[in-house]
Amino acid sequence: MLELFLSQILNGVVIGFVYALIALGFSLVFGVANIINFAQGALLMLGAFLTFTMVRLGAPIAVAIPIAIVITTATGMLIERLALRPLQNAPYIAPLLSTLAIAIIFDAAAEMIWSAEIQAFPSPLSKYVVFVGSAYLTGVDFLIIAVSLGVMAGLMLFLSRSWMGKALRATAQDPEAATQMGINVPLMRQFSFGLAGALGALAGVLIGMYYMSVFPQMGIPYGLKGFAAALLGGLSSIPGAIVGGILLGIFESLASGYVGEGWRDVIAFSVLLAVLIVRPHGLFGNKSLDALGGASGATGGIPTTSVVASMAGATGRTKQRVLEAPLLVLLAVIALFALLPVLSGSNYLLQVGTQAAIYAVLAVSLTLLTGSAGVISIGHAAFFGVGAYAAALAGRNWGIPAEAAFLLAGIAAAVFAAVLYWPTIRLSGHTVGLATLAIGQIVYLVCLNWVDVTRGPMGIPGVQRPSLLLGIDMKSLTAQYWQALVVLAIAVIIAFAMLNSPIGRTWRAIREDRLAAHASGVPVSRYLVLVFLVSGFLAGLAGAQFAFLQNFVSPESFMIDTSIVLISMIVLGGLGNITGALIGGVLLAMLPEVLREFAEYRMVAYGAILLLLLRFRPQGLAGTR
Amino acid sequence: MSTSITRARPEALIIDKVTRRFGGVVAANALDFTVPQGEFLAVVGPNGAGKSTLLQMISGVIRPQEGEIRLGGRRIDRLHTEAINALGISRTFQTSRVFPMLTIRESIMVGTQVGLIGGGRTPRRYGPVTELISALLRLPGYRARVAAAEARAEEVMKMFGDRLWPRQNDQAFSLSYANRRRLEIARALVQDPDILLLDEPAAGMNPSETDELTDIIAELRRIRPGMTIVMVEHKLQVVRQLAERCIVMAQGTVIVDDTPAGALEDPRVIEAYLGTRRSAAAFGKVNADG
Repeated sequence: MLELFLSQILNGVVIGFVYALIALGFSLVFGVANIINFAQGALLMLGAFLTFTMVRLGAPIAVAIPIAIVITTATGMLIERLALRPLQNAPYIAPLLSTLAIAIIFDAAAEMIWSAEIQAFPSPLSKYVVFVGSAYLTGVDFLIIAVSLGVMAGLMLFLSRSWMGKALRATAQDPEAATQMGINVPLMRQFSFGLAGALGALAGVLIGMYYMSVFPQMGIPYGLKGFAAALLGGLSSIPGAIVGGILLGIFESLASGYVGEGWRDVIAFSVLLAVLIVRPHGLFGNKSLDALGGASGATGGIPTTSVVASMAGATGRTKQRVLEAPLLVLLAVIALFALLPVLSGSNYLLQVGTQAAIYAVLAVSLTLLTGSAGVISIGHAAFFGVGAYAAALAGRNWGIPAEAAFLLAGIAAAVFAAVLYWPTIRLSGHTVGLATLAIGQIVYLVCLNWVDVTRGPMGIPGVQRPSLLLGIDMKSLTAQYWQALVVLAIAVIIAFAMLNSPIGRTWRAIREDRLAAHASGVPVSRYLVLVFLVSGFLAGLAGAQFAFLQNFVSPESFMIDTSIVLISMIVLGGLGNITGALIGGVLLAMLPEVLREFAEYRMVAYGAILLLLLRFRPQGLAGTR
Repeated sequence: MSTSITRARPEALIIDKVTRRFGGVVAANALDFTVPQGEFLAVVGPNGAGKSTLLQMISGVIRPQEGEIRLGGRRIDRLHTEAINALGISRTFQTSRVFPMLTIRESIMVGTQVGLIGGGRTPRRYGPVTELISALLRLPGYRARVAAAEARAEEVMKMFGDRLWPRQNDQAFSLSYANRRRLEIARALVQDPDILLLDEPAAGMNPSETDELTDIIAELRRIRPGMTIVMVEHKLQVVRQLAERCIVMAQGTVIVDDTPAGALEDPRVIEAYLGTRRSAAAFGKVNADG
């Protein structure tokens, strides 16, 4: 018993050193550029895979690692130059989504280059073993500890002694003053990204050796863990990162030992959430976590917390043009689409049409939350998933008729959204995106691991569609198509009613300036809970419709990819604009069908579209509201 | 210390030995004074005297570290900003905080929201779920209250002549600096507050705009004599014309508490501003220019 405990602690300490390395990369970029870099995990994955490839091509690992680190460093600097520097004065959602888009492009590209499979990683040192009682340490463990300590000591010396290090710290403390002192601040930002890339690549290689394997999707979970470690340690200090990393390593190691390996990441992400909520300045930090990216000054001196103000060109004092169709026009268009089965009997078209309608509902749901109320939600697929599982379980386990399952799915998702997103009310800036991403991952992992209820990765087959409604047989694909359009019409009506009511106006006021909203007497928490409820309800309806269409529910439909596709949709259409959400939702849902030969490039395309939009047309096609 | 103006009026706001430090700087050092109901109090003083900190503490944006703030006998310094507002204290900000993407009409309507749902000074009318359902189904009772709020917003917009009313559907970011200040004042006034806190309302306004604003506030005094006003303002001309009482702050303390005429002639004030007694004549000249 004690032996298991000790060996879990040892494992935790070792992997914790790797987390500390990732954490340092996060802290550097956060300190210098004031953004949370979601691409940190992608750099980690890149470093690991470059090493993997070079070794496979015959290079000795000792040569491959430095080369991989150099390339990843250059990539980090390139990311800053291409994806972040142009967004310097953009609202804070832009650099956040920009790094997210890069993460997703790297992730998808890696899957295409190296396949989605787990690959064996060379780990020559793991054959050396030293026993500590009944636990043991391998050569890799010693390497990890030695390299991490060496790098951290070097980094500390660099930051405190060298001119570059001092310039970096000066930039972190006050970029304006640093500029006045002749420090090239953009270069320092780029340099911090390069350093973060180097640390990420090193961590990636060490993780590869530790687990003797690498996989293309490793970026996001390890990136999140690195951030959890940084946050736990307080974001500002190197010793803090070490302690944070080790504590996180021990927590999750104990969780995997005593609860099950599948729960390892659930624990890690829960730690992240708990720290964000309870002690956002970490165990040792004194720096308040308020990453607003390039928001300050974005609107020509008007203080604002808006995610959209300068996206809409609100700097030029000119009116923007916004395309907003009246409700009746939107309903008429939906009615026109309902004629599709009369015009064509193609099952393929109906299938695509139903999918598009489901995505349109999700986009409407998300644009209320992120566009109108300004709560950046990178975990929205969670509520889609809750709705789908609720509908599936209602029929299968509890014998609830499918018609009632719709309502149940909506309510379940609404309640989940309100409860899970409640902690984010107190957060500001990028941290909301980070928290919602963690929540999305937790819900996905619970669906995957709570086998008793969800049947885990096997999913729930045989979801029964509603049988007979108003004399129409709802089992056919045609009926499902119509049903999806009805759900869409309901979603549009609800969204319109909310946005054009005092409640919608209050959401937008909270988005635009939360302090002014408080000072105007607006009970901010109450209205945020309302938007969680409404947005969650609509996502739940979409989830139920999805379950009925597929007759099957499994966790992989609700991964982070889905959340990011949804964000791309609402940015494409124009944040907070229902018409825009419908256009963006339908366009991006159809994209993989239109480019069928390129279907595997789907996620790369979504990431690229998001990146280009943020740079060249942040107000989207229809304009933000 | 207090003058004859304060007699026979109940105390609206009590600042009771309130202290607030920021690191080594003491922005409020045991501040201690009362504001009677219906008084127009001006707070002046050099930069860094703690004037804005005082308003931030009254409105709950910043919490005092020591002392108490009481409104009508009730302690409010531990309440949230929104709860303080709901009790009848409305404010504007030194750096105008408008809702950039909202139109003038929408921005002012945001100020009516707390009155619409109730709570604070009024009994609560709508809980979250009842409001959701009422808004979704556009129930008559809710609609009537929204319509009343719209009427009130229109009334307030028209108070500002042709500054806000013709632009009511313009987004706030497109407004001039002076109009953003007017919009903020309108958003506070629409709440019909018992206490109005104005943080440099005339900052950034040219002389004619300043005169216009002074007229609006004077008119407001005539319509609502019972409304207590606490105004931080650097333009001493505005202070002379509007205020009944003037507190001069320096380094977190009140150095003079008198009528505006008395306070602004006080040698201690001149010293606080300019450092030497010799410059008194020059200071008097600056005053006269506003």
